[in-house]
Amino acid sequence: MKMKKFLIGLILIGLIFFYESEIFAHGVGYRQSNFRAIPLEFFYSTGEKMSYREAKVFSPKDSKFAAQTGRTDEEGRFAFIPDCVGEWRVIVRDEEGHQCEAKINVDNLSANELEFDNNNLPQGFEIFIRALLGVSLIFNLALIIKIRKRNQNAH
Amino acid sequence: MHISEGVLSGGVLVAGWAGTLVGISIGLKKTETEKIVKTALISSAFFLASLVHIKIGVSSTHLSLIAPVGLILGQAVFPAVFVALLLQALLFHFGGLLVLGANTFTMAFSALITHIIFSRLIRDSRKKFSLIFISFIAGTFAVIFAAFLTGLFLYFSDKNFINAIKILMFAHIPLALFEGIATAFLILWLKKVSPEFLS
Repeated sequence: MKMKKFLIGLILIGLIFFYESEIFAHGVGYRQSNFRAIPLEFFYSTGEKMSYREAKVFSPKDSKFAAQTGRTDEEGRFAFIPDCVGEWRVIVRDEEGHQCEAKINVDNLSANELEFDNNNLPQGFEIFIRALLGVSLIFNLALIIKIRKRNQNAH
Repeated sequence: MHISEGVLSGGVLVAGWAGTLVGISIGLKKTETEKIVKTALISSAFFLASLVHIKIGVSSTHLSLIAPVGLILGQAVFPAVFVALLLQALLFHFGGLLVLGANTFTMAFSALITHIIFSRLIRDSRKKFSLIFISFIAGTFAVIFAAFLTGLFLYFSDKNFINAIKILMFAHIPLALFEGIATAFLILWLKKVSPEFLS
């Protein structure tokens, strides 16, 4: 009799565990992983961070449809995890139409080398120099046009 | 308000360049020799204005000064805006070279329309309040009209941009109001200090 009760109990516990495992199959969970993410920082040429901007990641396998979408954080940072080797593109854009495209060559998935096509953006004092150069070019161009117009009028 | 490279279709890019080239050639022909330095000065201000960023909530935008540029320069606005945007693209990576025609047309045409509508009203206004009010409306209108033209370029490139266009228009409302205030102060100051700039 005791044996019979024990077997019924065992079957019931088994059924409960089976039912619970079904529940877990439809639930959600998480675990910490060891994948190596590629963190990027996006900023304007003035040095200001591209905070909360739309970010799209394009895998080397598909250049049309984004493999991942999201937004940069307050500091203009965005990270993704490549799952294949090749050139990955991350495009961050704002509502004003400014767009920054980072191209990252992933040679092997354990040690990713980062390459940016726009790491030559001016910062700090260089902005001032470039602004000065721009203004200077505008006035030089104006001078050339003025001389040409004056010569045309003289003829 | 710069449209990025690779967004617009080939036909729209060509249309943008065509409109811009027509505007530049008319502008260069109509600009008198003695007004070239003034044009360069305003072009420089427009070029530098893009470096002034304004925080709006979590977002940020930069000054464009479309209305003052149009009100001061009139028909010379196309060459002035083209040179400024070209240098912004080359020196600060704003916009791009292929899309430069569309970006120039968007800004310069808005500035020109603002000039046509508001320059006489501003010149003739005698009362301080009416001058501030008209200038504010001019500044706001210029930005909204430029955003509308940008939306048109996007729409004719790809009809699926319709949601992006709605966001674009909505996002430009704070900038339009800010530019309205900036235009009002600038025009008020110019009318006091150097009214010949608006003649």
